[in-house]
Amino acid sequence: MRLLPSQENAILASPMVLFLLALLGFPVVLSIIYGFSEASFQSLMSPKLIGIANFQLVLQDSAFWDAAWFSLRFGVITALLECVLGLFLAVYLAPLIRENGWMVAVLIIPMIVAPAMIGLMYRLVLHEFAGPVPYYFYEWLGWSPSFLSTGMVFQTIVVAETLQWTPFAFLLFLTAYQAIPQDIREAAAVDGTRPWRMFWKIELPQMLPTLFVAGFIRFIDGFRVFDNIYTLVGAGPGGSTTSMSIYIYETFLRRGEIGKAMAAAILLFVVAFAILALGQSLMRKRR
Amino acid sequence: MKPHVILRWFVFVTAALVMNFPVIATFITALKAPAEIARNPSLVVHNPTIENFVTVLTVSDRLNIYHYLWNSLIAASIGSILPIVVAFPIAWAIVRRGYGRNILFPLVVNLRALPLVIFAVPLYLMFSVVNLLDTRLGLGLVLAVVNLPLALMLLVNAVAEIPIELEEAARMDGARLPRLILRIVLPLCRPAFITTFVFGFITAWNEFLFGLILTTQKAVPMTVGASFFFATSGGGVQWGVAAAVMIVAALPPLLLGLIMYRKITGSMVSGAVKG
Repeated sequence: MRLLPSQENAILASPMVLFLLALLGFPVVLSIIYGFSEASFQSLMSPKLIGIANFQLVLQDSAFWDAAWFSLRFGVITALLECVLGLFLAVYLAPLIRENGWMVAVLIIPMIVAPAMIGLMYRLVLHEFAGPVPYYFYEWLGWSPSFLSTGMVFQTIVVAETLQWTPFAFLLFLTAYQAIPQDIREAAAVDGTRPWRMFWKIELPQMLPTLFVAGFIRFIDGFRVFDNIYTLVGAGPGGSTTSMSIYIYETFLRRGEIGKAMAAAILLFVVAFAILALGQSLMRKRR
Repeated sequence: MKPHVILRWFVFVTAALVMNFPVIATFITALKAPAEIARNPSLVVHNPTIENFVTVLTVSDRLNIYHYLWNSLIAASIGSILPIVVAFPIAWAIVRRGYGRNILFPLVVNLRALPLVIFAVPLYLMFSVVNLLDTRLGLGLVLAVVNLPLALMLLVNAVAEIPIELEEAARMDGARLPRLILRIVLPLCRPAFITTFVFGFITAWNEFLFGLILTTQKAVPMTVGASFFFATSGGGVQWGVAAAVMIVAALPPLLLGLIMYRKITGSMVSGAVKG
């Protein structure tokens, strides 16, 4: 018996479709049910439908808006810093890397270490008695900022995130830089274009699409940040480092407000989806 | 050497040291005895010792690192092999038949941009119903979801690079679809399988949020287990031991990643640019 192509397609698609239905379809249904219900860990199996009350609760919660603002700021600032630093490293080091490919491996190490682990490592590195960073501050400057205090913690985690993920931007820019056709550069060089002008007028425009992609990906990753902040400071002093992901986690596991956590997750999904759609339509226009 | 070459080397060394600073400082601390950590927080070790690593690698009541390593190994293996198995057949259908190209493919690829916490809460509820909470299988299945988007993308790229003439020739010889896919397409995709596996394994090993929410004891992965050493229980954190735990926890993905760094960087770039 020969199968029709459409039957063959369905068979080929079925493993993934079934897998997704089981692991995402079912949870989506649960999200919707629990998002509109009241439930706690005690009454987990008997959610009580209460309509849109959870959503009202979330939208009236100032902590939710603080978390949204935190995530937005964190995402934008880290994405910008990572792109600027990554672009500089890629362009400036490209001539060296052409002869020493192994340099790339050294620079991408931070990305291969778990963000959760990096967060824990900073706990040690910044510790006031055991940490080398405060030690050298005292040694050389006679004082040391308290990196994890309310006033400093935001800068600290921005630096930690930036140092871990600049390699990602660097890698994308390096690839884009190396892909610029050599004859464009040579033609410009014949015309006597200076290196700085070459960068602004010729190389940077060629890398613009990559700049956009890298910035967008890094923004999304910064926006949804959880692991490194959570392992370094948790929700931070006075909840000052509560990202959207941490807000939902805390609402769910710490406070056991399942319906509210689910409603917040649905709202986050809507926002993330909107950002994604917007970003992709912008990128399509650029191309 | 010309001055600007020296300056470039200087920038490289500085960037490498600063970006890898937490790892370097943690490694140095792991080489200090407890007494030295109290006296000397600097980056110079006076009496290097492997004492901390011995403590970590010796099973005790307080600490069984092999338990966490084993959990991570199993969960990350499931989480990196399963996506390849389920994505490979449909990758062929997407490339050669255009099946699911307009809806299913973008849907799956976009999944990876969503905050994972969105899935964490409903998955917790689902797992408590089907008894997958705190199991390596349950954690592995979720990690497979995390890895599916990139697996699908890399496999679609791999199938698209196979010359169609090869498949047509096999068709001419009367090969039916199952034979065609298993005998022609599958062997040619082997390099992509390896890349996808390595990348997925590293991602899965490094994942933290799902391990934190979906496991409590039996299936706790290494990333979450490592954070337990910082839970101050009376005497405060034993920094030397904690540092050694972090180094051991970070080592498997690090070794894998450094051995395969060309493939890793390649798939990172293609994953980003084509997504």
